[in-house]
Amino acid sequence: MTAVPLAPVRRWISRTQSSHRERGATLSSLYVGLLSVAIIGGILHRQLAAVFWPSAPNASALAGASLVAVCYGLLYLALRRFGPLALSRPAASWLLPAPVSRRRLLLPSLRIAGFTAALLGALAAVAIVGHVAPRARVGDEVALLTVGGALIGLALLLVAAAAQAGGRWGDAVDTIAGLAFAAGLVGLVTATTLDSPVGVTDWPPAGTLVPVVAGVFVVVVVVLALVVRGLARTPSDRILDASRTAGTLFDTAFGVEPSFLTDMIERRYWARRRLRSTRLSSRLPILIAQDLLLAVRRRRRLLWLALATVLPVLLGSAPGWVLGAAVLLGCLFAGLTATGNARTDAGNPVMLRLLGMTSREAVFQRLWVPGVLAGVWAALALTALDLLGDLPSGPWWALGLTLGPVGAAAAVHRARVGFVRNELLPLDTPMGTLSTGPLVNAVMGPDLLLLGVPAWIAIGQGSLSWTTVLLQGVIGVAGARVYLAGTTSLERTELSAG
Amino acid sequence: MVDHPAVEVDDLHVGYGSTPVLVGVKLTVPAGEGVCVVGENGIGKSTLLRCVSGLQQPDQGTIRVFGGDPGATPEFWRAVVTTVEPPTWYPGLTAREHAELVCRAHGQDPEEAGIDEALERFGLAGHTDAIPPSLSSGQKQRLVLAIALLRPSSLLILDEPEQRLDREGRADVASLLSDYLEGGGSLLIASHDETFAVASGAAITTMESLSAGTP
Repeated sequence: MTAVPLAPVRRWISRTQSSHRERGATLSSLYVGLLSVAIIGGILHRQLAAVFWPSAPNASALAGASLVAVCYGLLYLALRRFGPLALSRPAASWLLPAPVSRRRLLLPSLRIAGFTAALLGALAAVAIVGHVAPRARVGDEVALLTVGGALIGLALLLVAAAAQAGGRWGDAVDTIAGLAFAAGLVGLVTATTLDSPVGVTDWPPAGTLVPVVAGVFVVVVVVLALVVRGLARTPSDRILDASRTAGTLFDTAFGVEPSFLTDMIERRYWARRRLRSTRLSSRLPILIAQDLLLAVRRRRRLLWLALATVLPVLLGSAPGWVLGAAVLLGCLFAGLTATGNARTDAGNPVMLRLLGMTSREAVFQRLWVPGVLAGVWAALALTALDLLGDLPSGPWWALGLTLGPVGAAAAVHRARVGFVRNELLPLDTPMGTLSTGPLVNAVMGPDLLLLGVPAWIAIGQGSLSWTTVLLQGVIGVAGARVYLAGTTSLERTELSAG
Repeated sequence: MVDHPAVEVDDLHVGYGSTPVLVGVKLTVPAGEGVCVVGENGIGKSTLLRCVSGLQQPDQGTIRVFGGDPGATPEFWRAVVTTVEPPTWYPGLTAREHAELVCRAHGQDPEEAGIDEALERFGLAGHTDAIPPSLSSGQKQRLVLAIALLRPSSLLILDEPEQRLDREGRADVASLLSDYLEGGGSLLIASHDETFAVASGAAITTMESLSAGTP
């Protein structure tokens, strides 16, 4: 079949689209975008400097190596999650099935992804070098390492693009990247607990770095050529999947509606899984048995959750109130790992009607598994902080367990939120108009973490008594009961009126 | 419940914008009997079923289901099963587990309820481990019907249950609905297929005959 030249088609599309836009609309968008970046950069320049180039090196060699694994592992996983090669939804509908060169169709996407990956790789390199390199070494080495970081970003993109087109080996590489990321996190936590010397004094000189970077450059160029040559072999279904992801991402950004993205990720995850029917436990109430089955089926998520119990240790040197807030937020996230069914019920009560349950009974049962996860997570996290010396000795594990009802109520409340209410009145502020819908949506769920104030104060002050544990237990259980009684009824099945 | 008709609709008016869809509709489904409403597309069959299920508020008129208001109460949904809305399936739960969940929620023993037999009868024996979103639309329709017939109820409200079923499947479902009526249940269905309606044991009526005036 003769391929139709793609360039004139794209030019025609671009010309037709721009004729429907107002004159100067693109320039105006560009101006607003650049101005926003400049203003945000101006406001946050101190924080950005602290992230990328602190005034003195403040991390050990182990922390530096761990940051490499975390940053580049995350970059690879993100590239894989979003494609990395994708087309816009109209292009996927109209150009993918057209008799045009598949390679030319995908090249712009590869260019954009390549630029983004190289930029992120370079930024990660600057940040890592900024945290560990002695300040006497600013110069050629830093420039070479930054270029090296950009090349690693590019190399990861090429591997991700090949994995997108390739077979099952892509899943194995994803697992390795996930393990590297997890190892990096463990390394960061370990570095926080050890008193290793800050900074790395033994840097390779520019003379050693030049051939290494040049070698990596040559390899990247060769692999790039191979990937471009093989672009046409990228299966259509993978491109369509990536295009749907990109489209959903835009919908999420423009509609300020995160559930579009989370729902798509959830649907795609289960579509790939092969399940075997099992009997729901008859010893437990039915919805608890269902939540438990769902949690057990996502073992990898539970493993990440277990790993995350040591993350608050990274904030060991932060002010106490920050540490307390992190533990409470951790409870919320731990609870949220088991609220998929509550979210389904809140979105559409058809199944609840089939089950014939009252909303009170349903929410009461839906609170248990998130509660156990939140309580155990908080107990482990606080025990880790206690053992590593970030908290004075005390019954912190017990305080963690009392946070179970708090995490459960917050997570289930969050799961019942539903769509962002964009009909809410916007607020006029000196900084411009503020849309209240996304704001209200964002605080629903975290707002119930206020039930954990006694624990927050105890962690913030670094002192704990059994009285505080008891107080937290009473407030947590009473708060969850009030939430249940106030937002559910024995007379209706719908959950959404949370 | 048996003292009242299963469904009583009187002087029902429903419109979408300025377009009237149901005008003065009157319908009675006696307890333990079945009625099948037939009529062309867009005549208001699904709207009528949605109103009887309490999922849509009419502009005017009264609806009684077993002598009470149709609505969102758990008691209503323990007595009534409707398929006028497509279900949202639970994540990570197989077709068989969905059926077991519904049975267990109604206090039924999954073995005694005959889940496996029901799934086999509806041609889903080879799909018990599939997650429902991965099934074809016909298979999903059959799964909904299987679950609707597995759980205890007093009234079934089914919107075109024969749709997306092959001839053999239609005959099987009609026979199951007939058994449901013989067991004392009541039935209100909307259908395009009069043969199916007759086989299910429901009395056939047209939308025109229920309406005070043609919209």
